[in-house]
Formats: sequence, structure tokens, C-alpha cells
Amino acid sequence: MALPATPHAVSSFEALYRSCGADVYAYVASLLRDRAAAEDVTALAFERALRKRRSFDRARGSERAWLFGIARNAALDELRRRSRTAALLTDPPAEAVAADDPDSDRRATVRAALAALEPRDRELIALKFHAGLANAEIAKVIGASESAAAMRLHRAVTKLREACHAS
Amino acid sequence: MRPDPIVLAELDELDRALAGDPSPWSELVTDVHAERPRMDPAFAARLDAMVDEARVAPRRPRWLVWSPAAGVAAALIVAVIVVTDTGQRGRTPQSGAASSAKSAAPAGGAAAEQSAPALSAPAPARARKVERTTSLALSTARNDVQDVADNVVTTTQRFGGIVDSSQTSTSDAEASATFALRIPTARLDEAVAALSKLAHVSSLSQGSTDITSSFVSVEARLRDARAERRALLKALAKATTTQEIDAIKLRLRDNRSQIALLKGEANALRRRADLARVDVTIAGNGHASSGGGTWSPGDAARDALRVLEVAAGVILVGLAAGVPLALLLGAAALAARSTRRHRREQALRV
Repeated sequence: MALPATPHAVSSFEALYRSCGADVYAYVASLLRDRAAAEDVTALAFERALRKRRSFDRARGSERAWLFGIARNAALDELRRRSRTAALLTDPPAEAVAADDPDSDRRATVRAALAALEPRDRELIALKFHAGLANAEIAKVIGASESAAAMRLHRAVTKLREACHAS
Repeated sequence: MRPDPIVLAELDELDRALAGDPSPWSELVTDVHAERPRMDPAFAARLDAMVDEARVAPRRPRWLVWSPAAGVAAALIVAVIVVTDTGQRGRTPQSGAASSAKSAAPAGGAAAEQSAPALSAPAPARARKVERTTSLALSTARNDVQDVADNVVTTTQRFGGIVDSSQTSTSDAEASATFALRIPTARLDEAVAALSKLAHVSSLSQGSTDITSSFVSVEARLRDARAERRALLKALAKATTTQEIDAIKLRLRDNRSQIALLKGEANALRRRADLARVDVTIAGNGHASSGGGTWSPGDAARDALRVLEVAAGVILVGLAAGVPLALLLGAAALAARSTRRHRREQALRV
């Protein structure tokens, strides 16, 4: 069922934005590893979602999965554009780590492990850990079956864990 | 294919850790969460403003943008159909009459052949006696036959004519009426025009026959008979014997009968020339009368039906052309979508 073009649809979209705006940004930033580009892509994704909100079909998945699908397409388009212009991927600037933080070493390890992951795996980690999507929703976003998505997610998490332990 | 149960169990553990429950994955979840990119407050404010703006100024529904243009297009189509159809209906009786008149010429046979010289090279107008005949076929709705029949009688009387004979028949499926009319020849054209307006004209044929020679012959014989009568009366006055008188009286009686007969013939010929014969048939299985050219509710209903017919035709033709085109476009769109998706996925294989 498409979202009706009424104030209700707008308020429903606003609620969707409030509930997962930060998650979308976190996912896109994890994928692009460039804060400025992530901001542009996040804004573009919400603009597209606003424009296409009438085409949302609840029978084809949740609103969150629909929104993350749009964000994913925008992020992949940005990645393609950057690959064509041969721009280097830029890591997000490292968070300032307090010297007396007992977990700082471990977190640096996790950060390095995340950076070492392949983009496809890092995307799945972002969708699961940052966006908090269910496996079925992840399947919708990446366009795979639920079992295939679960297998790929498990592989990605296992790689992350192994990378953390290896460091 | 269902994933390995061990994989599912581990993913369940991960979900528990993400939900905040104790799990072997809790530490990793915490550490990854700590690495979560966070929105810059300035960007968050810009994004908020963008969504707020969308709420304040909702987009105009697409159908609202296109509906005026669609309405104008539909009105134009309806207007074209109605104007075209009305024009055709307005021409129908005239063209029908013209074509029937043309076709009546060969069908008229001898009458038509006789009429040509009679009309083209008339003798002195007074001496010429021309008999004119008209056959008019009208069609109307079954329920309108009686009304049209009444109007035929009224119209005939209006032009000084008489109804020689009439017959009306009605059944469940159809109704019909036939009339043999006599209308003064001088007003025949007017009368036929008026009769043609009573219903749809299916056919109209007209003919004329020159009966001058017959009339002249009868008048000559009448003159001779009268001359003979005068001579017989003179001879009777001079007759002296009973035998002569009886013989003359017998010839006078025969002469009187002949004069009466010839007078009757002359009168009949004069009547044929003065009163044209008009045969009218009304068929009650056709469409309703046009009402003399005014746009009646019946016409409106027919126009509406015609609009629907044309619209259905347009849709059918559109589908015939549009379905293959839509299939091609759909296939092209699917291919383009698949290609775009493949290229996007390639972006992740860095």
C-alpha cells in the first residue's frame, strides 16, 4: 500500500526520520568512510525518500528497510562516482581517545578491524550494529534472500571477531 | 536454503547482545557501537530543517497537476465526436433523398423516360398534363410510428391533400404504417419536404408521367360525341315516322353513355395531373425521428453512446499499439535496473 499524499503521510515520514535519521547517517558514513560525503548522501537519501514516499509498499517490507534501501543506492552511486574520478577513500577522522581510557586499546583494535573489512562486510556490520536492522530487513536492503543475508552477516561478524582477536 | 543451525544460534546471540542482554557478543557490540559515526549537530539541524520544510509545503499530488490537461483533452474529444456526428445526422435525410432520387431514375423505367421530355421540353403549360408520383420511406422507433403516422395525416391536410388509403400494423417487435396520399401537384415539393422532416428518411423516389396525349385524345372524343349528340337532336327534330324517331332515340341513349364515360375519363386524367400520388411507408424498427433537426434527449443519448464507442475504439487501438510498446519498455527497464544494480554492487567490490 502506498503512503497517501496527506499530512498523515508527512508526519509518518517525519516519525521515520526521527527514529532512524542518525542510523542512516551512521550506516552511510560507515560505508563511505567520509563524513562530508556521508552528509551529502544522507541528505540526498532523505530527499529521495520524501519524493518517493507514495511509492512505499508495506507489503514489500518495513519502512526502515525501504529507507535504508534508498540510502544504500545513494551511497553506492557515490562510491561509483568516486571510483570513476579516482578519488581516494577517506577514513573518518579518529575519535579522540582519552589516554586514561582502559578500553582504548581494544577500541583501537576494533576500529582497525572495521577498517580492514571489505566494504560488503563493513556494510553488513553497519546495518546490524549501527542501524539495528533485523536479518529480514537487511535481506531486503541488500536484495538477497533472508537465509543468504544471514549467512553473509554471520561471515562478516566472524571476520570482524577474528580480526579483533588477531590484533 | 536454511542456514546452519549453529549460524542461526550465533546470530540469535548477537541479537540478544544488541538488545542489551548478556551475551558472549556483548563486548564486541559495545566496542562497535563506540565506533558508530555520529552526526555533526550542524548537519543534523540542516536535515531537520529539510524535513520540516517538506511538512510545511507538501508536494502537490501528481494527479492534480495532470487533471486539467486530461480534462481539456477529454472535452475536446467529446466535442469533436458530437460535432462530427451532428453534422452527419444533419446531412442524412438530404443525402438519402438525393441518392434515392438518383437510384429511382433507372428504377422508374418508362415513367422516368416519359418524364424527361415532358419536363425538359414542355408544350404550353396549360396544355401539358403531367402526373407526378413520389414514394417516401421513413424509419423511426417502434413506439413513434403512431405519432409519425398522425403527423403524416396532419401534414397532408395542411397542404390541401387527401389520404386515399392508410394501413397500420403493430407487433411486439416492430410497427409499420403505409399511406397512399393525394397532394396538389403545385404544392408537392413543399409537402414532401415537410413529410421528410417527420422521421429519418430511408429512401425517396420521385417520378413524373406526361399524360397530355391521353387527355387530348379523351377531350377530342368528347367533343365528337357532343357534336354527334347535337346532330342527333337535329335529326330527331326533323324525323317524321315512328321508326325514324325510335332509331334516333336509341343512338342518343348510346351517345349519352359515351359522353358520360368520356367525361369520367377526362376528369380522372385531370385529377391525376392535379393531385400527385404520394406513397408513404413508415417502418418502426429504425432509430427515432430527428425531430426536425433539433437536438433532442434521444440525440444526446445517441451522442453519448457514440462517444463511448469512439472512446472504446481509441482505447482498443491504444492497447494494440501500447501493449507491445509497454512490454518492450518494461523489458528495457528491467534490463536497465538489473545493470544499474550490478554496477552498484560492483562499487562494494573495492
